[in-house]
Amino acid sequence: MSGLLLTLLLLPLVGSGLVFAWKDKSSKYLALGIALVQMLVTFYITADFDFTPTVDSVLQHEINYPWSQFMKSSLHFGIDGMSLLLLLLTNILAPIIILSSFNENVSYRNTFYGLILLMQFGLVGVFTSLDGLLFYIFWEVTLIPIWFIAGLWGQENKRMEFTTKFFVYTFIGSLFMLAGLIYVYNHSASFALTDLYNAQLNETQQTVVFWFIFFAFAVKLPVFPFHTWQPDTYTYSPTQGSMLLSGIMLKMAVYGVMRYLLPITPLPIAGISGQIVIILAIVGIVHGALIAIIQTDMKRIIAYSSFSHVGLMVAGIFASAVITLRGTFNIEGAEGALVQTFAHGINVAGLFYCCDILYKRFKSRDIRQMGGLAKVAPKFAVLFLIILLGSMGVPLTNGFIGEFILLKAVYDFNGLAAVIAGLTVILCAVYLLRFYGKAMFGQGDDAVLSTVKDLSAVEFSVLASLAVFVIVFGIFPQPIIEMVNSSLKFIYQSMVS
Amino acid sequence: MSVLIIVFLTAVVALFSGVFEQGKFARYIGILGLIIALWVSFMPECAFFGQYKHMYDYTANTALFTKISIVTTLLLFFLGGFAFSNHRSHQSELYALMLFALCGGIILFGYQNMVTLFLGVEILSIPLYVMAGANKTDLRSNEASIKYFLMGAFATGFLLFGIAFIYGSVGSFDLYKIQDFGVSNPHNVMFILGVLLILCALAFKVALAPFHMWSPDVYFGAPSLITAFMASVVKISGFFALFRLMTIGFGGVTEEWINVFGVFLIITLLLANVMGLAQTNAKRMLAYSSVSHAGYIGLVFFGMTSLSTYNLAFYLFAYALSTVGVFMCLIYVEKLKRETSFGAFKGLAKTEPLLATVAAISMLSMAGIPLTAGFMGKFALFSQAMNSNHGVFLVIVAVLGSALSIAYYLRLIISMFFFKESTFKSSEKVTLTYNIVAVCIIASVIVLGVAPDLFAGVFGL
Repeated sequence: MSGLLLTLLLLPLVGSGLVFAWKDKSSKYLALGIALVQMLVTFYITADFDFTPTVDSVLQHEINYPWSQFMKSSLHFGIDGMSLLLLLLTNILAPIIILSSFNENVSYRNTFYGLILLMQFGLVGVFTSLDGLLFYIFWEVTLIPIWFIAGLWGQENKRMEFTTKFFVYTFIGSLFMLAGLIYVYNHSASFALTDLYNAQLNETQQTVVFWFIFFAFAVKLPVFPFHTWQPDTYTYSPTQGSMLLSGIMLKMAVYGVMRYLLPITPLPIAGISGQIVIILAIVGIVHGALIAIIQTDMKRIIAYSSFSHVGLMVAGIFASAVITLRGTFNIEGAEGALVQTFAHGINVAGLFYCCDILYKRFKSRDIRQMGGLAKVAPKFAVLFLIILLGSMGVPLTNGFIGEFILLKAVYDFNGLAAVIAGLTVILCAVYLLRFYGKAMFGQGDDAVLSTVKDLSAVEFSVLASLAVFVIVFGIFPQPIIEMVNSSLKFIYQSMVS
Repeated sequence: MSVLIIVFLTAVVALFSGVFEQGKFARYIGILGLIIALWVSFMPECAFFGQYKHMYDYTANTALFTKISIVTTLLLFFLGGFAFSNHRSHQSELYALMLFALCGGIILFGYQNMVTLFLGVEILSIPLYVMAGANKTDLRSNEASIKYFLMGAFATGFLLFGIAFIYGSVGSFDLYKIQDFGVSNPHNVMFILGVLLILCALAFKVALAPFHMWSPDVYFGAPSLITAFMASVVKISGFFALFRLMTIGFGGVTEEWINVFGVFLIITLLLANVMGLAQTNAKRMLAYSSVSHAGYIGLVFFGMTSLSTYNLAFYLFAYALSTVGVFMCLIYVEKLKRETSFGAFKGLAKTEPLLATVAAISMLSMAGIPLTAGFMGKFALFSQAMNSNHGVFLVIVAVLGSALSIAYYLRLIISMFFFKESTFKSSEKVTLTYNIVAVCIIASVIVLGVAPDLFAGVFGL
């Protein structure tokens, strides 16, 4: 059955090669077609997946070939519930992101779409590899295409310095992760995941490894105070770049924390390091939300809101881990984080796309210069509102359930922490509703508004498909929770044992 | 030994071919000779003359390093036609000198005696002094030549001094006798003094800080193809000479020099990468990058295992390939623009996409981005060094160095790719040979990055 996973891995890679070579105007349709096939294969795998929690081995569709005897590493891929969820997110968003650029006259279009598919290849690799070195390689593979996308199609004036900052920042983080992985590898038999889990490290060694590896994830997420690259990069990237970065790429780190960090270094997490991380995450939640309130640039609002939301996910994951290590088995935080991962990916991509639509209408990213769009663009007003509410975590939208479980997990860890983290719900409503109110209602410039049209077909299909996910998973979140349940149990159990 | 003879004879023939035709013949003769030498080095019979009076020992490692240095020289010879086409005269001498320097390198891969080491170092260096000054009308080239010569003379002095101390304490020039002496008398002051002096001398040769001062100026002043030769083949030779000496000859007194060496590495990694960031000229940037790579390669002395020689060879080969890859792009730009500032590369990707790609992939490989050979090389060295006492600290410094280095490599990539309009005329295309070499380098860098075990398969371990 490994053929399906192989298809998932190779299709975007081969596809990107095809699109690169396809110097025709229709390359965007080719890219979309490949991404859609990829999505269908993912759906098929999901439908075919065995979710029964009693399954001994949580992994399915395994591929395992020897690769390098010198590196003691093998081409080992597999899917469990957690991988599957992130694969779904990646492969659902990828065609939507490609579709979202259809109205624009993208320069060097075959390179653009080729890079998006290459990025997809890297992401699928990250979410399915079961070998430390392989994970690192795919982790870095995703960096190059997004750097080119941000650099080549970003805002003309500032893109160089910010894309370089982004690249150097994440590269430093990744190298530290490599150093950490090598350190573990030197104490284990090979890079295979189970060997890494069973590496014999004492607490000091684990603490070193923990901070090395955590640094990479902290930069990518980002966790306070490693977030300074993020607002700039999100702001000056092209819309598709921001969607890829915030929607999917950031989730690599959430995944990495659970797949690698928790089981490899449980001792420091039980000790002071885990608590430091939770404190940093909660500082980030409040810090990000407060800064988002005073922003006037809409892309920066979304960037800081994303930073704030991610803080809650990290706090939840580590809260559960600490509680588990203290003796009460708890995977709620991790469950909530994964539900939120899926929801946030959909919502933030939608929000960035809404920013793009607003920018096209008002020719400005400054929310003070907007207003009154709801009168002339009612369809947009409704869809934008749905996605916005999802992001705010209003009940019956996809954002609610994750946020609720996360706050519960943080509460189990510490009541005060939960109260502070809970501010995110209120502050998020403040800045997002302010943004929405300014842009959609209020006093608009009639001259501008008279020329503005409602959503085009492409824009409508992108936003509507995202809005469907917002509502469907808001009402039925159970499938996601069931999907990740057994793999999370496995991971948290291997942390304790 | 037979490889050495073939390369030497080729060099002599190439030198005299200048009588008939400037350059062309010499290049073809050189290519032919190198291919034969490469072929011979792959044959098991090349153990013929294997052991020569305890002076020269052609082992499996010698063969491995000989092969990679010949391959690198061969690539540079292919580029020579385009690179030297401005040189009206004395081309054949340049090719011959490159081959002579390669002879020095091959001697260094198999020396078993301090005298042979000295001969190898000098045969490698003296042609380089001349080649660095090959652009006679260019002041910078003259400066490079004289600077290199003076610094090289210093290094030779250190080397001889060190050898004298060693001979004074051991009473023999033989590498294995020196090893035995080191094992039985690890705290002999005269001996240790000799070890440190020789370490300094070879640090000059491979441009390890704080003995790297000459290298940016020399690399910058020398003709670009010669710079590429220095950065690749000379580095391979110098490092393996150092490796052989420190692991065999001075293997018994490792703890006496390893800390000194570690300090060299830390200075190299930080200084070279910080200085690299400050450069505005691509050629100077590559010079500092080359110094910084000496720092990464130096990690091979920490946490030694049986695979260390292989790791060293892999890294050096990956680095040499990338060096040739970047320099071929630089040679093209220098020829068209007559300068090599970052600005001169603007928009190269529009007119010469293949050339820009080979340079970009090479630099990503130098920075250690996965799926390139450079990553696998760095990985091997880092993971080896991590096992030693102070390894974690050294690896952190190396990681910081790599992180700094990516910033200056990116500047050149940005120049080439991120400008909408090209500053190059599309009429000035590169030659077919050039494109073939570019494709070969891209392919090898990526193949070695994806399937690192192939290296052992192809070159033999």
